[in-house]
Amino acid sequence: MSALDLRLVDFTYPGAPSPALSQCTLCAEAGAVTWLTGALGSGTSTALLVAAGLAPRHTGGLRAGQVRTLGVDPADPSSARDLGGRVALVLPSPVSQLSGIAETVAQEVAFAPANLGWAAGRIHDGVARALDILGISHLADRDPATLSGGEMQRTVLAATLVLAPELWLLDEPASALDAGGRALLHRLLRAEAERGSAVVVASEDADGLAGVADRLVVFDAGRPVLEGSPDAVLRGDPVWEAGAGSTTIAALARAAQVSAPRPLTVEEGVAQWTR
Amino acid sequence: MDAVTPLVLDGVRFGYGAEPVLDGVSLRLEAGEGVALLGANGAGKTTLTRLAMALRHPQQGSVSTCGRDTARRKPEDLADVTGYLFQHPEAQLFAQTVRGEVAFGPERLRWAAGRVAMAVAAVLDELGLAPHADKHPYDLPTPTRRLVALAAALVASPTLLILDEPTAGLDRNSRVRVARAVTARRRAGTAVLAVTHDFGFAVEVLDRAVVLDRARITHDMGLTDLLGRLPEFPAPPLLELARRLGIEKVRASLDALAPVLTSHPETGTL
Repeated sequence: MSALDLRLVDFTYPGAPSPALSQCTLCAEAGAVTWLTGALGSGTSTALLVAAGLAPRHTGGLRAGQVRTLGVDPADPSSARDLGGRVALVLPSPVSQLSGIAETVAQEVAFAPANLGWAAGRIHDGVARALDILGISHLADRDPATLSGGEMQRTVLAATLVLAPELWLLDEPASALDAGGRALLHRLLRAEAERGSAVVVASEDADGLAGVADRLVVFDAGRPVLEGSPDAVLRGDPVWEAGAGSTTIAALARAAQVSAPRPLTVEEGVAQWTR
Repeated sequence: MDAVTPLVLDGVRFGYGAEPVLDGVSLRLEAGEGVALLGANGAGKTTLTRLAMALRHPQQGSVSTCGRDTARRKPEDLADVTGYLFQHPEAQLFAQTVRGEVAFGPERLRWAAGRVAMAVAAVLDELGLAPHADKHPYDLPTPTRRLVALAAALVASPTLLILDEPTAGLDRNSRVRVARAVTARRRAGTAVLAVTHDFGFAVEVLDRAVVLDRARITHDMGLTDLLGRLPEFPAPPLLELARRLGIEKVRASLDALAPVLTSHPETGTL
């Protein structure tokens, strides 16, 4: 069984003239990092919301087709309890994900475990470990409302990591992270996949994710149109024809009329242009 | 454009509690300058931009935005000369349509209706937002909403443009549009102060780096002199490639580098 299994899913937001997902079939497996990319509006963010059940439960709208998240339909209210703490959704704006009631960063990270009824000792150890991994132990006693954007993003990631979810759903999780934070996030995604979690990340950061993801799925007009190893997909033309993009060096090579397969990294670029 | 200096911070101290977030910070931006405000998460970058916009006021020292001391001013007192893209633009949008959102600033400045319509159409087109003009901003995905907020910041050609993470979450095509739009404003004399962790974008459209660390400015230098010289500021791919190929006099942007690399069509080599 795939950790995430969408079959021929359509989804239309309330009042929207056209569907955000159209005949979308997508699987993600445990133990792997699955990377979704595509032009703005291609449907990657909506696929994550549907996988988490927030669409349509919170957004409203119409869904058709079959969705199985860890084996159950996430839009079914009775399955929400079953998925609690096992599926984690990380949205691009961290400010919208803080509880708003925790007085410190440590309390924020302890919030979900406490709701799940964990023992105090387990919460304490889990929170300390998550803060350490995200490099924010020094912020433990800070009021979350006073954090910078990047610090909030690290806090949201720590609050997710503490749960050791079976399925990670992340939408542009690095948007406010500094270079160190990005490297840390990429190590975290790899480590979570090695631990056996299914990691699904929607991102436009091809330079960052090319060496991190096991599989790349390119969306266009509400469904996957191309998939494979990032290395193979990013070198070719179809990823551009789908309206998505590749690494910075591949983009330069394309602009400089180098035909596919194109270089992806600086190292390969140097080899390309000094031959 | 007026002859006023777009931004002057002089000996600024500010904190939300006892600890200062900024301490003894002085900074001056001239017309047309492009400055990247850099530093680790929590270094005080966003706070500095809030001071420049009179959203916060210094506890010591002074801030002058487009020649106006911010001390007794509110953000709306600067709205005619500044554009500000928030880090979380969902806090910034309120109109019923994208067009209405972008038109709000010029209408508030009492521009004639025709001039508003022309300026709004031009900036929506520039940022690839024309197809969304009549949609509700909240029906758009987060990165597109960010573009709407940017359009609103650009539409009245401000003297000072402040951008907080302008490229976060954008796809490649949108990123190229944003880079071109900001570059065009700089050429027209707008001073740009951008908080960004996207060093590739920074090196494409900006020239000067100001680094904040623990409440103080630790570096103020040429952007390309900084990037790749310190571990926390790695050179973005195009700059590193240009250096390795010995063509670092060319700006590290797709638009500037591609023609240089295409000039040897047989092999694609230099």
